[in-house]
Amino acid sequence: MLDFDVISPKTSHELFEVISNSQDKNYRFGAGYTDLINDLNNNLQQNLTVINLAKLNDNNFKAININENGVQIGALVTATQLLENNIIQNNYPVLWEATNSVASGQIRASATIGGNVCQASPSGDMSCALVALKAVCEIIDSKGNIREENISDFFRGVKKTSLKKNEILRSIFVPINISKNIKSGYIKVGTRNSMEIAIASIAYHFQKDEQNNVIDAGYAIGAVAPTIVFTKDACDFILGKNINSLNETDVKQFANLIKKYAKPISDIRASAWYREEVLINLSETILK
Amino acid sequence: MYNMVEINFIINGSKMTKRIKPSTLLVDFIRDDLKLKGTKVGCMEGECGACTIIIDGTAINSCMYLAININGKNVTTIEGLGTVEKPLDLVQEKMIAHGAIQCGFCTSGVVMTTKAFSEKCKNEDKIPTRDEVKKSLEGHLCRCTGYIKIIDAAEAVYKKQ
Amino acid sequence: MVKELKIIGKSTPKLDAKERVTGKSVYGHDIELPGMLHGMILRTKYPCAKIISIDVSEAKALDGVMCVITAADVDVNQIGYKRDHPIFKSKTVNCNRDEIAAVAATTKEIAKKALSLIKVEYEVKKGIYNPFDALKEDAPKLNEFSHDKFGNKNIGESFHYEHGNIEDQKKLSKVIITKRYETSRVTHCCMATSNITASYSKLDGQLTIWASTQVPFLYQRDVAHALKMEPSKIRIIQPIIGGGFGSKLDMLPFEPICALLSIKTGKPVQLLYSREEEFIASPTRQPMIIDLTTGANENGKFTFREVKITMDNGAYTSWGATTPFVMMQTYSSLYQVPACSFDAKAIYTNNPFAGSFRGYGNPQATYSIETNIDLLAKELGIGKDEIRLINANYKGEITGQGLNFKTCGAIPALKKVIEESKYSQRIKSQISNSKSQESGRYKKGIGLASMLHVGGGAKIYRSDGCGTRLKIDHYGYLTIITGSNEIGQGSETVLAMIAVEELGIPIEKIKVINTDTDVKPWDVGVHASRTSFVAGNSLLGAIKLIKEKLNKQAAKLLCIENSDFIYQNGSMFHDDKEIKIDKVVREMHFGLPNELCVVEYFYEPPSSFQDKEFKGDVSGNYAFASQAIEVEVDTLTGKVKVLNVFVSQDVGRVLNPLALQGQIEGGVATGIGFALTEEMIYKNGMLLNPNFHGYKLLTSMDMPDVNFYPVETYDDAGPYGSKGVGEAPLIPTAAAIANAVADAIGIEFYSLPLSPEKILKALKEKTINKVLSI
Ligand SMILES: Cc1cc2nc3c(=O)[nH]c(=O)nc-3n(C[C@H](O)[C@H](O)[C@H](O)COP(=O)(O)OP(=O)(O)OC[C@H]3O[C@@H](n4cnc5c(N)ncnc54)[C@H](O)[C@@H]3O)c2cc1C
Ligand code: FES
Ligand code: FES
Repeated sequence: MLDFDVISPKTSHELFEVISNSQDKNYRFGAGYTDLINDLNNNLQQNLTVINLAKLNDNNFKAININENGVQIGALVTATQLLENNIIQNNYPVLWEATNSVASGQIRASATIGGNVCQASPSGDMSCALVALKAVCEIIDSKGNIREENISDFFRGVKKTSLKKNEILRSIFVPINISKNIKSGYIKVGTRNSMEIAIASIAYHFQKDEQNNVIDAGYAIGAVAPTIVFTKDACDFILGKNINSLNETDVKQFANLIKKYAKPISDIRASAWYREEVLINLSETILK
Repeated sequence: MYNMVEINFIINGSKMTKRIKPSTLLVDFIRDDLKLKGTKVGCMEGECGACTIIIDGTAINSCMYLAININGKNVTTIEGLGTVEKPLDLVQEKMIAHGAIQCGFCTSGVVMTTKAFSEKCKNEDKIPTRDEVKKSLEGHLCRCTGYIKIIDAAEAVYKKQ
Repeated sequence: MVKELKIIGKSTPKLDAKERVTGKSVYGHDIELPGMLHGMILRTKYPCAKIISIDVSEAKALDGVMCVITAADVDVNQIGYKRDHPIFKSKTVNCNRDEIAAVAATTKEIAKKALSLIKVEYEVKKGIYNPFDALKEDAPKLNEFSHDKFGNKNIGESFHYEHGNIEDQKKLSKVIITKRYETSRVTHCCMATSNITASYSKLDGQLTIWASTQVPFLYQRDVAHALKMEPSKIRIIQPIIGGGFGSKLDMLPFEPICALLSIKTGKPVQLLYSREEEFIASPTRQPMIIDLTTGANENGKFTFREVKITMDNGAYTSWGATTPFVMMQTYSSLYQVPACSFDAKAIYTNNPFAGSFRGYGNPQATYSIETNIDLLAKELGIGKDEIRLINANYKGEITGQGLNFKTCGAIPALKKVIEESKYSQRIKSQISNSKSQESGRYKKGIGLASMLHVGGGAKIYRSDGCGTRLKIDHYGYLTIITGSNEIGQGSETVLAMIAVEELGIPIEKIKVINTDTDVKPWDVGVHASRTSFVAGNSLLGAIKLIKEKLNKQAAKLLCIENSDFIYQNGSMFHDDKEIKIDKVVREMHFGLPNELCVVEYFYEPPSSFQDKEFKGDVSGNYAFASQAIEVEVDTLTGKVKVLNVFVSQDVGRVLNPLALQGQIEGGVATGIGFALTEEMIYKNGMLLNPNFHGYKLLTSMDMPDVNFYPVETYDDAGPYGSKGVGEAPLIPTAAAIANAVADAIGIEFYSLPLSPEKILKALKEKTINKVLSI
């Protein structure tokens, strides 16, 4: 049975204070709790304090703000809020589709984007899209110092991030599209059509000029390595190429470059062989 | 033992104040403290939807929610639908008429999700497509019906209102 | 001509639907008795080990713990129909669900804490997890209580059946096909987990149990046997059941354990499974390895079937070991089969034991037969639809096993799905053989399969009967006290509909009482799709009796000759005379002859026992069904999407279309899961996916449309001509899907489930082979 104390800061000031005062304690943040409760149930802990972010009333954490450089998404924005946002839907289909593929309506209503990122699961859907979008994490510590880090660097391993004990993720910044001509989407492989944790996933976000030449490429793969991976070499390869008329060799070359990044494992959901195979098969279709 | 926490909330239309253990899950609070047994437990891990209730108009899984977080909120469980004069909500009527109930264990949750989704559609003045209806029910496992009757019932709700 | 009826055949919502939909129904989980304790069971850490010691002292010392028990504390009998299963394990543990100790405490938290304080020392042994390993000479004896009756220490149960002359039929065969089929272990996944509340009174030695059993009277006897009590001291009350599907046929150890906790503490005790426990310690459909050889002559007529089935019995024997009773019907009699030889053995292993599950072995058997038929058709160059029509069962057929098909909708059902699905236009393998050349990511295919199942109960217990008592009160309300049970399938509603039909009493004035063994008369329980059939016939018998009573009294009151009345709207009519039923009843009670308006009736189906060779007409009638299923295979991921399902089933007569359709759709959904997504994954006897996250039930997003076409054959034996329907819809589904996948991609699979990985691997091998052969 769960047994822990809960502190519910209402302002950032209170939050920082709680974090400062808790440095010698065993504590976890709780946002939407859809990962945390299962984590704690599977791994009961003694003397745990949960710092409850659900009561925090600070728009830096809670709002979606748009400026000329991009979109700043508060860590406590829920999946449902993202889905209801037209800017996200129109400009970042990859993020919208990934978010829509998370669990169920009931879970999405609670699940936050910050929780998804901080959980650092290799199969996190929103996280995978954010990696393809080259998002930047805005991290704040208990003294109010802010640091920014590319999301790819933020992930350090299965359930591991670069967050230090006195730090918290405040928001995620997604840079603005430089072109309106985009090819963007999310593919999630699972046995069922819903309620799946990805066996393999692909997030892609290509920006093109008028001639359909790629001017910016984002391509991330999930569930095939300890962290979600940005396939940089494949993205570099595709830059400048006309995405609508790639030849067979280009497509193969692109897929091979992706393969380099895949280091899948076998578990009860799928074998390493299967993960790699579908990753390559689907990567090829995206460009065909 | 950690300090008990006081929470104030509205449950099925009535204001209430309670003191609870901070780590209490909402579903346990509803079933064991409030004795509202219509909310069911099928898994305790967010997968089955049997525990679905509505908080401020949104359907959530009460097994994945801390009870303290309903402080200041409006909570509706299956017991809160319908009124004394009209004991069955439209959603409930349609579920019956379309034969969407067999063993009934998934039913409370399904009704709550459909209720929340129907209110949302009503506010946006739209009738969802069949695929959207299916998607709205993705978080409910039902072993008896094969979902078709449930989907039919939900569709009938959206068409009617 | 079939008589037009008032309510039978019209969609009628379930009687209890309003309670369900408002959350008012009380399921086992919702029961709370004053002073109730919470029970929990400590299960083994290893699937195969010697128990060196058990120390419960710390658990006992914990505040709030009222009782801790192990094998050493109880005097009980072993359970299971082979009596090979101790409810607490003391010397060895033999599978991952084994019970070692149990606690009762004032809260669930304390009970859980107490379990963690029990210290068990094990000496881990290497278990045997494959039935073929268990059959080896040097294998240890896995169940120390088994009877060694079948020539090998690890064979728990064995069946042999045959008819016709196999050798002669082999000579007549143009093609003979031999294949090995394997099916996976799946489980019921009732949405409500297993639960029980037991309350023992030291004052009168009476034990009351609220249990979700499907077979309350057998259960009462089983609990009594386990606890060495007198059955009649045990009262079984069935709360509302959140799903059955066969899982509640066996009494399991947790049930007498909960009773023992109550007996020891003198307080009510409730024991609820968590979902994880439900996966680990509730019944499963046992996996089978089926070696099947079949033949057909040049005209496509089947010649023989020869089958050897190896069932993984697990560590103890449950009803699951008797599934061959049903399977032998399928091998002997699904389609016309001149000769059949059937062997099935249940082999002990250190895997969890099985149980019964909707279809009772028939989905596995049908999967092997129906996929094999496609192979025969392919070899012979005959249409897959044609070969089935040539061999289909027919009215008047008495099969080699002695099943007597007095009515038979096999051919109409087959024809219907072939026609509605446009089977012959869609099937690729019949249009051209070049489909492997076809390009494109998604490949479509269609598959056919049929099934045969008992439709009028099954005489496997000494009585397959059901008792009914009827009572009409002074206000014209009817109470039906029936032996039968409701587990969500809607049988109460059917009974009420029958009463409306016959007695003209409005449905709001009908009550069905069926939950208490102290009150209700005997019935074997819910299984074998029997409830509407047996309980319906029983009710009709009782109605006949109560009508005789009412007719006599009414005639007297109206001063006419005793004669027939028409029953309508709570009144009885004869020519232009009308009298209200309630008045007749009052006069019966208060006036002469001062008699109660109560009757009782016992219905025993006309079916016969099988003889020693398993031959005989075991069921009152038989259900037939066919399905055509269209799928689309994603060749890049191996994922199968079911596009469309066409079901036609001989239901005798449709009683309640709404409920019938629900049974069909639910059955198909479970069948699709069995075919494609569901599998309990075990490694060395431990379950790796004991949750909904890893064990994949279909969701609303996976469910295709189901087109259903009932076939009505009006069988004399069933109420209004009806037949049992509950199990049939899931039986042919996996077979039809497997055939559809083979049609889509030109590769046959011989094991379930058809996982994306399996399919992708096969597709890959096929392309490699093609490249190599060029
Ligand atoms: C049934 C079910 C299905 C699911 N399906 C999917 C799925 O399909 N795809 C998917 O991606 N996920 C899925 N999940 C996982 C989960 O819902 C998501 O990862 C969700 O986004 C987590 O958000 P949360 O707000 O609930 O996180 P929480 O559970 O509150 O937190 C998750 C972790 O992040 C930490 N944390 C949260 N916020 C912050 C912050 N601001 N700063 C620092 N640390 C923080 C917490 O301490 C915790 O360790 C599923 C979960 C369930 C129960
Ligand atoms: S009990 Fe909450 S989702 Fe299953
Ligand atoms: S009606 Fe039984 S689980 Fe849905």
